[in-house]
Amino acid sequence: MDVIKNKKLAIIMFLLPGLTLYVLLVLYPIVNGIVLSMYRWKTVSIKVFAGLDNYLGVFTDSLFWKSVKNSLIFMIGTGLIQLPLGFILGYLLYLQLKGYRFFRTVYFIPPMLMSVAVGYIWGYIYSPAFGLLKPLMESIGLGKYYLPPLANSGTALFFIILAQAWHSTGIQMMLFNAGFMNMPEEVIEMSVIDGAVGWKKIFYIILPLSWEVTTSVIILQLTGALRSFDLIYVMTGGGPNHATEVLPIYMFVKAFQEFNIGYGAVAAIVIFILSISLTVGLQKLMKKETF
Amino acid sequence: METLNLSTRKSISAFKLTKNTTSSLKVSKKAKVFIYIFMIIIAVIVLLPLIWLISSSLKTQAELTANVWGLPKFLHFENYVNAWKRGRMSVYINNSLIAIIVTIIITVVTSTTLSFVLSRLKFKGNRIIYYIVIIGMMIPIHAAVIPLYILAMNMKLQNNLIALGFIYAAFRISASVFFLESYMKTIPKELEESAIIDGCSLWRIFLKIILPLSKDGVITIVILAVIACWNELLVAMLMLNEPFVKTLPIGLMGFVTEYNAEYTQMCAGLVIACLPGLIFYALLQERIIKGMTVGAIKG
Repeated sequence: MDVIKNKKLAIIMFLLPGLTLYVLLVLYPIVNGIVLSMYRWKTVSIKVFAGLDNYLGVFTDSLFWKSVKNSLIFMIGTGLIQLPLGFILGYLLYLQLKGYRFFRTVYFIPPMLMSVAVGYIWGYIYSPAFGLLKPLMESIGLGKYYLPPLANSGTALFFIILAQAWHSTGIQMMLFNAGFMNMPEEVIEMSVIDGAVGWKKIFYIILPLSWEVTTSVIILQLTGALRSFDLIYVMTGGGPNHATEVLPIYMFVKAFQEFNIGYGAVAAIVIFILSISLTVGLQKLMKKETF
Repeated sequence: METLNLSTRKSISAFKLTKNTTSSLKVSKKAKVFIYIFMIIIAVIVLLPLIWLISSSLKTQAELTANVWGLPKFLHFENYVNAWKRGRMSVYINNSLIAIIVTIIITVVTSTTLSFVLSRLKFKGNRIIYYIVIIGMMIPIHAAVIPLYILAMNMKLQNNLIALGFIYAAFRISASVFFLESYMKTIPKELEESAIIDGCSLWRIFLKIILPLSKDGVITIVILAVIACWNELLVAMLMLNEPFVKTLPIGLMGFVTEYNAEYTQMCAGLVIACLPGLIFYALLQERIIKGMTVGAIKG
């Protein structure tokens, strides 16, 4: 009896540090955020209960919908570059041709760089004053078409997507590569003997065999893009004219620049809900796909 | 002990980085040429901005505006000296390191103890606690940042790097437990059963058996924590506003806005900001790649 009593106490002692920290700094803020989203609180002193007013306010704010749209474009845009390119590079490395270790090392350099620094580096590359892009375009005879990419609301988001893809495609590559490396080799060998070559091999053998990894990579890529803040904040701060204002930036601007805590809290909840539904939804959706 | 160590490790390190046979992957000569051309093009796209940055950081301002492409005639290392001094880089790197060390210590203490209990002991509510902890993986730090900011303000914990480390650690718990719990589960049960019969306390089992056998798992969660926290901008930006507690990402932001017109110096500052990550990568490449892939796909 004494042993069990001691064991119970021991279990509590083991659980306590982690759970306390987790509840205090992760769960409580989320709940508190829901509470805050129902208060009108523009300055630090006055806090008035407002029910769902903030939700109504945010959902009728055209800037909010613009940021949702920008977030979607950013997610799809980066996804369209990073997922196929990551898949192809991951596969090419999987072939283990001579020198593949060198290429793997090089491709994984950008993800190891500080994201704020990467934002500035690409800001300079695009800069008209001394950037790389202008002389590059001039050297191939397209100089007269050069416009400062980030100063133009039509092109800014696209050029940020390119910078983001440069920064993080290496991660998708590495994950796909790890997935391929762990496929059962006998199955692939058998399939080659059975005549599965070229595209057939990739679509009917490789993709199904690495489906679990593919699912993870897609979910990570999309939820990661939804949370993207650093690079965009550093490169444009959401401008010009809100053209690159994604959801996290909208939240940041509302809460910490316009000091409208309630609106910011609503935006934070939207990010939270989108993030969870993307993860759960994609997991369900992709599980159904059986080959 | 040593043989057990090997066998558990084998079953745990599921992700391979290299294969042994390549017989199924014969590539024709023509295809090889295309593959190499493609891989070289991508490598150039990856490296060109970095080479350009380093080359720019070694020029004078006049040289840079006159010739954006060319290599520097003389290596102007004074840009680095200036960026290091005026940019207070050593202060920022130091602050980042403090926050990261606190994060690592707290993350390891909290997630190893949690994972140990959740993976090895049967008790009421075990699974409920597990899922409550795991659900945190889906919570983006953005969703919590406003209340955290208010909490820090009320508790006068702004400009406190240790408090920042605690916040970072709290957000590493979910992923770390998810990974460590499944890692610890692979350690054979018999080991601790006999230890319990011998009268070992839970504390001793944890410290003498489970923790040493989970060394690789702990290294993985530490690597993932370092990568996540070294880069973190949003929370740091809100928690820290005194210049001498800024971490490297926000310090760098201040530096760039302050010396906005001195391009060459700024390039030097950016190189300095990138270097710690690169050194980390150079020293621990295999571990980082393995940690990130296992961490991302399994945890």
